[in-house]
Amino acid sequence: MNYSSLEFVLGFTQALALTMSVAFLTYVCLIVVPYLRHKPVKSGDATAFEWHFLIPCRDEEAVISDTARYLRGTFPRAHLWIIDDDSDDRTAGLVRRLRGRGPGRDEFVHLIQRRRPRARTGKGDALNAGYRSLRRWLGARNGRGGALDPDRIVVVVVDADGRPSPNCLDVCAAEHLFGNPEIGAVQVDVWMSNRNDPPRDARRSWSLGSTLVRMQDLEFRAAIAAIQMSRKHTGTISMGGNGQLTRLSALDSVAGRDKSPWRGSLLEDFELGVHLLTAGWRTGFTVDAHVQQEGLYSVRRFLAQRTRWGQGTMQCARYVRRIWSSRYITTLGAAEMLYYLAQPWMQLIGTIVYPIPFVLLGIRMMRQPEQVWNWITDGAWILFTVYGSFGLLPFIIWGPIYWARCERKGGWLRGVGYGLTYAVYIYSFYITSWRALARLLLGRNGWAKTRRNTERGNLDLVAAET
Amino acid sequence: MLLAAGLVVMAAALVVFHTAYRTAEVMLAGIVVRSATSSGVHVSGGRQTIYFGLGSPTPFGLRMTPECTSAFLLLPLLLIGAGMILLRPAVTRRVASALLVAAAVVVTVNQLRVLTLVGLINWLGTDRGYYWGHTFFGSMVSVFGGAVALILFVWLATRRSRAERRAGEPPRPGSEH
Repeated sequence: MNYSSLEFVLGFTQALALTMSVAFLTYVCLIVVPYLRHKPVKSGDATAFEWHFLIPCRDEEAVISDTARYLRGTFPRAHLWIIDDDSDDRTAGLVRRLRGRGPGRDEFVHLIQRRRPRARTGKGDALNAGYRSLRRWLGARNGRGGALDPDRIVVVVVDADGRPSPNCLDVCAAEHLFGNPEIGAVQVDVWMSNRNDPPRDARRSWSLGSTLVRMQDLEFRAAIAAIQMSRKHTGTISMGGNGQLTRLSALDSVAGRDKSPWRGSLLEDFELGVHLLTAGWRTGFTVDAHVQQEGLYSVRRFLAQRTRWGQGTMQCARYVRRIWSSRYITTLGAAEMLYYLAQPWMQLIGTIVYPIPFVLLGIRMMRQPEQVWNWITDGAWILFTVYGSFGLLPFIIWGPIYWARCERKGGWLRGVGYGLTYAVYIYSFYITSWRALARLLLGRNGWAKTRRNTERGNLDLVAAET
Repeated sequence: MLLAAGLVVMAAALVVFHTAYRTAEVMLAGIVVRSATSSGVHVSGGRQTIYFGLGSPTPFGLRMTPECTSAFLLLPLLLIGAGMILLRPAVTRRVASALLVAAAVVVTVNQLRVLTLVGLINWLGTDRGYYWGHTFFGSMVSVFGGAVALILFVWLATRRSRAERRAGEPPRPGSEH
């Protein structure tokens, strides 16, 4: 490569890296403001609605009993629809035991059993099975004269280890959420229930596992919450897999002929949001209520989970045209969703573009070490510091914010430490995006269930490859 | 559609003819620097270099390298603009005007960066002026200028027109009930 083409590559990659860094820095500055300015909003009256929890389960014997007891105790008027996706363990039996038999049985606990080969085809399919059962049950009840407007019925998706906060339903019934008839779905904040618990096998108070869980808590409660709040302005609040509440009428409107509101991608929660938004519904988000779930201690399981999410986001690229042609989504909203969908692709570009100047510098350093050293000490170190700071600050900033707003324990330096760790944590997405691309190219679209911390075993696929 | 294709062609032209672009950019820098300094200024278009401080004790030459040009900063804007027009043709006019404004900001910011360098060299001398101008202040101007250009582009390209605001939003499922 001659000198002018080297200069060209360097100039091109530096400009691209600068544009991507500046775009991200600007984006973070814009989303931090609404997050810091948030004040709790007045709750509504949960009794104005009927609530149905859908809990998809596959081999969840470790957690399902406690979850069901918690939900029944905290929300006594809500129905639980536990969807057993042909578990190999005692999940179904435990639910049956909870429900009881005969005249004294709990009419608010429903077990939906799926069987292979029609089971284990993805979380979306399991939720669709729950939706259809709920619809049939409501139809039968309506036939007996218990009809209720589907606008007044809310379906709540929680994971088998999910713990919605006791105020969850009241908060979601508020005027600005389901109290507004245009709101089709609401996503609540997500917390990690084990954020203060070290892993069982940890010998010290600090461990990689507990740090990983802390970072997941920080990510959801600070960065993701801020993104969701800013989406209120773009009208593109997205749905998550846990703590996802949807009005039944909204689900009906996107269910189609096969009565399946959730579709087949690995990111069925985001997909549902896209369908709702393009059908004209608004979506809401609140940090005034939350759902707690278990954070992952294992790096391997974490990477597997994020690979699945990255692959799901890549699959959802197919919705770009639908989003941009929807009359309900503004250009700003469509641009925001495009930016979100472009994230894994930008990470792929980033892994190629960002190292190029450093590789070229390394080559030059091997050839002319003295010249390069003089160049660095003559001032290039300031350039590295400036660009390094701009590259890391958008991540580091979340540490002190999380410490101040969410978990104020210890001194402020702890917040800075969280921020620095979060910057390292985020760079794991560069690995998962490549893994996701590899899986996409190989046509491996199966769903590897993220195992609970208490479960042992490998990460073999538990759903058929399509 | 035609404009989107034109923008893609422009982006490709920026890559292929970046030397010509840098020549034009350094000529413009010559005009800007001449208007701001009293000492002699000479532009060598063929070398994409501007000489200033001629006749003073600290003459200096700055080359507009591929790393310093604004050409590659315009590239993503052109491609994003083309994508937006393809995906939502109704925003063509808005995206075109947003591109014009953002491109003007990017070009101006790069001129401002050159001017900052010239000013610092005049003020602090060749070594210290270039040292701080090329490293810290130059980068600051690029980063903040880039942020302003991006915000302007997004704001101008995505804001709703007065007619759209007057017409209000299309009816939504909940409001029809």
